[in-house]
Amino acid sequence: MKRFLLTAVAVGEAVPAAPAKARSETLWAQTSRRLKRSNTAVFGLLVVVALILVAAFADVLAPYSATDTNPNAMFQMPNSQHLLGTDQLGRDMLSRIIYGSRVSLTVGLSSVVLAVFIGLPLGLIAGYYGRLYDTLVMRAMDVILSFPVILLAIIIMVMFTPTDGFWGIIKVTMAVAIVRIPIYARLVRGSVLSIKEKEYIEACHALGQRDVKVLLKHILPNCLAPLIVAGTLSVATAIIVEASLSFLGVGIQPPTPSWGWDLKANVAWIQDNAWLALAPGFAIFITVLSFNLFGDGLRDALDPRLK
Amino acid sequence: MRDYIIKRLFQMIPTIIVITLVVFAMMQAIPGDPIISLLGDAYDEEDAEKLRGEYGLNKPIYVQYFRWVSKLMRGDWGESILSGRSILNDVLIRLPVTIELIIVAMIVALIIAIPAGIIAAIRQNTWGDYTAMSTAMIGISIPDFFLGVLLLLLFSISMNGFLPSSGWVYLPGTCPSVVCEASWWGNFKHVVMPAIALGVGRAAILTRLLRASMLEIIRMEYVTTARAKGLGERLVILKHALKNALIPTVTIMGLQIGFLIGGAIVVETLFAIPGLGTYGINAIIARDYQQVQGFILLVAISFVVLNFLVDLVYSFLDPRIRYN
Amino acid sequence: MHRSGRFYIYISLALACLLAFTASIAVAAEAKRGGTLRVAYGNKIANLDFHTAPGYEMMWVAMNIGCGLVNITPDGQFVGDAAESWELSDDHLTWTFKLRDGVQFHDGTQVDAKAVKFSIDRLIDPETKSGMRGFYAAVKEVEAVDPLTVKVHLQQPYAFFLHMLAGYRTGLVLYSPEATAKYDVNDRKKGKAGAVVGCGPFKFVEWVPNDHLIMDRFEGYYQKGKPYLDRVHIRIIKDPVTQMAAFKAGEIDFIASFTPEHVGTVKAQNPGVQVMTGKETTPMVAPMKVTVPADGKQMSKERKPHAVFGDIKVRKAVACHGLNREEIVKIAFKGAATPWIGMNPPGTLDTVNVNGKCPYNPDKAKAMLKEAGYGPDNPLKFEVITDNEKAVFNIIATVIKDQMSRIGAQVNIKLVDKVTWMNTMLKDGEWDMYVEDLLSLLTLDSNAYLSVTTSSWNGARHTDTHVDDLYAKYAREMNPTKRAAVAKELQEYMVDKLYWNTVSGSPFYQIAQSSVKGYTFNAEFEVHFENVWLDK
Repeated sequence: MKRFLLTAVAVGEAVPAAPAKARSETLWAQTSRRLKRSNTAVFGLLVVVALILVAAFADVLAPYSATDTNPNAMFQMPNSQHLLGTDQLGRDMLSRIIYGSRVSLTVGLSSVVLAVFIGLPLGLIAGYYGRLYDTLVMRAMDVILSFPVILLAIIIMVMFTPTDGFWGIIKVTMAVAIVRIPIYARLVRGSVLSIKEKEYIEACHALGQRDVKVLLKHILPNCLAPLIVAGTLSVATAIIVEASLSFLGVGIQPPTPSWGWDLKANVAWIQDNAWLALAPGFAIFITVLSFNLFGDGLRDALDPRLK
Repeated sequence: MRDYIIKRLFQMIPTIIVITLVVFAMMQAIPGDPIISLLGDAYDEEDAEKLRGEYGLNKPIYVQYFRWVSKLMRGDWGESILSGRSILNDVLIRLPVTIELIIVAMIVALIIAIPAGIIAAIRQNTWGDYTAMSTAMIGISIPDFFLGVLLLLLFSISMNGFLPSSGWVYLPGTCPSVVCEASWWGNFKHVVMPAIALGVGRAAILTRLLRASMLEIIRMEYVTTARAKGLGERLVILKHALKNALIPTVTIMGLQIGFLIGGAIVVETLFAIPGLGTYGINAIIARDYQQVQGFILLVAISFVVLNFLVDLVYSFLDPRIRYN
Repeated sequence: MHRSGRFYIYISLALACLLAFTASIAVAAEAKRGGTLRVAYGNKIANLDFHTAPGYEMMWVAMNIGCGLVNITPDGQFVGDAAESWELSDDHLTWTFKLRDGVQFHDGTQVDAKAVKFSIDRLIDPETKSGMRGFYAAVKEVEAVDPLTVKVHLQQPYAFFLHMLAGYRTGLVLYSPEATAKYDVNDRKKGKAGAVVGCGPFKFVEWVPNDHLIMDRFEGYYQKGKPYLDRVHIRIIKDPVTQMAAFKAGEIDFIASFTPEHVGTVKAQNPGVQVMTGKETTPMVAPMKVTVPADGKQMSKERKPHAVFGDIKVRKAVACHGLNREEIVKIAFKGAATPWIGMNPPGTLDTVNVNGKCPYNPDKAKAMLKEAGYGPDNPLKFEVITDNEKAVFNIIATVIKDQMSRIGAQVNIKLVDKVTWMNTMLKDGEWDMYVEDLLSLLTLDSNAYLSVTTSSWNGARHTDTHVDDLYAKYAREMNPTKRAAVAKELQEYMVDKLYWNTVSGSPFYQIAQSSVKGYTFNAEFEVHFENVWLDK
């Protein structure tokens, strides 16, 4: 129960699985088999893949540029020329949504990768070596966790000064990653702690195997499963955090199209042109939903006992 | 138990000290000059230099840090350079509004989550379960500000202002200032949409958690009393399961407050509610460093204290849980 | 039967009475006393120390809680406030003000010559650090001759002394010597009870920053019977959509400054609404940085030309012939502003239309760029920085970017918040062009910081002292005709040199419910509520 709660706390948004006990080789085969059976998970995965393709091929798919203004076509209702209408500057909303996926997906995926990249070794060290390292790492994680996620992300962005374009995305990615590191550090540490007690690890020590080898060969693979689940589900949270930052005006800046920014900017016109605010909102919703569905399915597939 | 409390209290102190360092360092790292904000369109370089000296802004960083911390320890949260007002005062004026918002959001979350979680657990793998779980999935995936926008569209704009789109009416008797509007109905109208926007996401998480905890308990109970006969036994199991499932649920709820505070910032901005969230955002946008410092420190420390309390409650309840 | 003559007399008398009766009703209704005027501000009030705080929102409060010597009407006439009459000596060096008897501060003390001397002296004192200090540069000494007579001695003739007292920023706000001695600047800033004291029609009651401010009728106001309102309740509502919703719901009576882009909507939503505006007195500008520090140190006295805009040919190509101001006004303001290149906005005193000097001519712009060394293989690249205080800034920047691409220049837009923009612009930071609107200009002299080499606000950091000379000449010329000629010279010179680049006027709107009567619209300069009454 305690372990259950700790990991629930660590992930924060859903209930993840306990570390899998099966050996790695058959784990993936088992997982994909179970995954295929879940309709919602497959659906989630398909949408995620579709979104990634849209973001990658935005230049080809978008009918117009996301930033070209057209003073003669402002506030058009959805029509054959502009499937989602145009905004205050005459920009095509559909193109803005398509290009906006780039920001959300890039930030969502990269921030998780970055957070895992930093959190994983921290958790390994804290869990495996214990004592001083454990205290130091966990205190640091505590400090980060003492701030509400969005508040800390806002402050970090203000420190970096929000900009647009490539560097703007880097900054947002870093801000979101920093606030997510503690989750992975704690998760990995928890896994490491429970595996460390196993006899075969002691056997490795008795055999004189070096620490690094023990870590990489035995401990790490068993941490991966919950990590992947947490990571997938985290992408959803990361996208929401990025959208919140843009909504408050401290995320990626215009003219780079961003769903959160468009949502905030177009709420001003919600009386007469509601779809301008609804479109980016739904885009965020669908994206987050698909990652959640896939992540949930992945978790259930890895350890169906908790279903 | 007492030892545990003392141990945890001691652990908190270095954390809080590091937090003050981190907060101060972050403020210093934010580019900008508060004197420019202070003087605004009346900016003059000479005056600015003098003011910087008066506020001690050109002293070395560690001096500024120690002055700030020593004032804090005397209970003086300082004043805003821009408005001259006591930060603690202004925070206390706004705190009740945000607290009310968070409490109502929690109530909304519980009202949704408890029945939904129970139904989902009892009627596992039936339509009831799937509906509850799908709705929960949607609830988790929808950002609270977008939900707020949808609610605005539905109840404020379409229904011609049935629910107000912004602002706040205080609860009778809680007026922070000489002149304010206060009424029960007015307050309800203003709090209901933002609370729902905030609460639905939490409800979704709690539903799933409640369902999962109940299922785990039910399964175990069912196994040990495999030969249970009749409806009476099942009901007892369910009541027992619910009671025990509520414990981790309530615990998690306490921890969700962190997300609620963060969500409150965004939702308050959307609905223009004069709470702590808009206070913080305005302070950040205006680069009122003293205010931002005080505000973040307050939030962080409350969070640490809250976590500590939740841990206490949890460990107090722990011996009574017979599993693991 | 026949009608006797008397019958007709009676009929005519009756008709005459009827006529007189209806005529008396048709005459303006009597001002009703009482009620609360609920005002919406779009920005917060910085703080309540009127002598040092920035921002219009503070100024409009100062104009109602405080009083000065004179005020100015929309057609430029001066009316007395605490002063009853005034006179300029023949040598143009001494102003004599006769004060009204019985004007009181809210703390009960008299507004007398000592108080006037005290207020002006403290504004001039560098220790006060008042932004208005520069306006009193011409003042040599203030003399309290007798309790109701003040003489101000000038060092040189100053044509705008009265304009300055009336409408430069808050105008002169008189401080009570007693209250100022009893409370310090921090008490005033934060609105401590008893510290914020003026001689205006309303007295300060309460302020919650970013939320609201309350002021109540001052029963001892020197204009008997006024103000009609019991109370003015100012609410800070930042978002225009929220302002509109509150206005439509009848929760707000008056919006102190409304964004132009939603004016059409507010008219459509509220038939009978009073939408007040006038000729623009605020310039919408897109200035280019002219010099940068030669030694890399910000605000250094050693300058070298800006890499892009240090060359006047490039400035002319971009700002004179490359900007289609008509198009900008059409897109950003839907035509509700005036395309303008002069540094003096269309509604300011002594303004001159110099638009003819810079016709839109993209071909000429391209040719000039080519002369300066730019071309298809070496395109002109620069960055426009703007802030998100008003949505219209970003729109204008976007249109400029578009127009620049037509002449082969590549523009990158950087959108920041207002504070960051101020920091960059004021501290000699790195920028090429910015888009913003600055303070309203009652006269060309009122923004002492525009384009003056010594000023902190000379963001472009030009070093041409001829501008300073023209400013000084303008301020000292007492003859209005000659003064207008100097103004013309300055405005034309500025277009020639383009240290300053105006794009259009920035329109100013105030919105009021039909029940709000008695308000006199005078742009941003005079927002007074003592004549306002509510017809409810």
